[in-house]
Amino acid sequence: MPGKDTVAERITDSIPRVDNAVAVGEDLDFQRQWWRFEKAAWVMLALVLIADALGVFGRGWLARAERSSADGNFSVRYERVERAGTPSVMTITVNEGAQQNRQLQLFASESVVEVLGAQRIIPQPESSTLTPGGLLYTFPMTSAPAEVSFELEPSFPGVHTFELRVPGASSVQGKVLVLP
Amino acid sequence: MPTLIHAILGYFVLLLTIRLLSRRPGSQLTLFEFVLVFLIGGIIIASTMGNDRSVTNATCAVILVGLLHRVVSYARNRWPRLGQLIDGSPVVVYKKGVWQDEVMQQMKLAPEDILAAARTKGIRGLGDIDYAVLERNGQISILSRAESK
Repeated sequence: MPGKDTVAERITDSIPRVDNAVAVGEDLDFQRQWWRFEKAAWVMLALVLIADALGVFGRGWLARAERSSADGNFSVRYERVERAGTPSVMTITVNEGAQQNRQLQLFASESVVEVLGAQRIIPQPESSTLTPGGLLYTFPMTSAPAEVSFELEPSFPGVHTFELRVPGASSVQGKVLVLP
Repeated sequence: MPTLIHAILGYFVLLLTIRLLSRRPGSQLTLFEFVLVFLIGGIIIASTMGNDRSVTNATCAVILVGLLHRVVSYARNRWPRLGQLIDGSPVVVYKKGVWQDEVMQQMKLAPEDILAAARTKGIRGLGDIDYAVLERNGQISILSRAESK
């Protein structure tokens, strides 16, 4: 119809033209901003990789942690940053002072079993007893120092606290950040 | 539920990575880029599915990615600025005998790429080109001088 633009014409006319001749829709200002963002993004991505290699996101040097009980009877090596669904090992080293009658009793808070997902304990405990707030494991202990390992596989992302204790002695508490 | 969250994260991480990799002149995937697409795809699949490799989980993930893609496509068309962010904007790389050096450099284009695109249109040399435009889909459009007249 004369005097009435079609939709296609209106759209074409709204597209910026180069040299007032070719409807390209070029937006060089936006493009320059994007190029700047692109450069910054690549730097960020490189930093993410470096952080990952160092263990900021788990499974590396910065993720490793070690804590000892106040009386020095046992220490715990664990990863302060873990990844959901990824196996890791928490190792408890116990000294002579922690044993009683050639046995070691170790209390692990519920969080070690539930949220941090203890899959296996090495060596196998002689017995495990339900106690308020966690489980009490009993291991035979013939020599010291000895090691007990918990194979973990956390299921839920978040910050989780745990506690390990040798009854009658001091305890070790720690926090683990589980990433998705 | 974790699968759905991982699928959403995976979709946007993939979108950003592919966007950052810049447009490929000619818009055709080389063998080298096929490796990239399959490898990145495989990595995202592993994280999306996790330990649940059931058909139910896979079906839900596929439906979600499909829906997500539809929503993003709609939003891209609805808000041109978002479309520009996702696809970029066309850029003129050659204008009336002058190379647009900044664009050529940033888009990692070589004059040979423009000449190759020109040959596909039967144009013999630079002298016959009026404008060359790198489109949003990575294709290079050539406007010849003959067409302008």
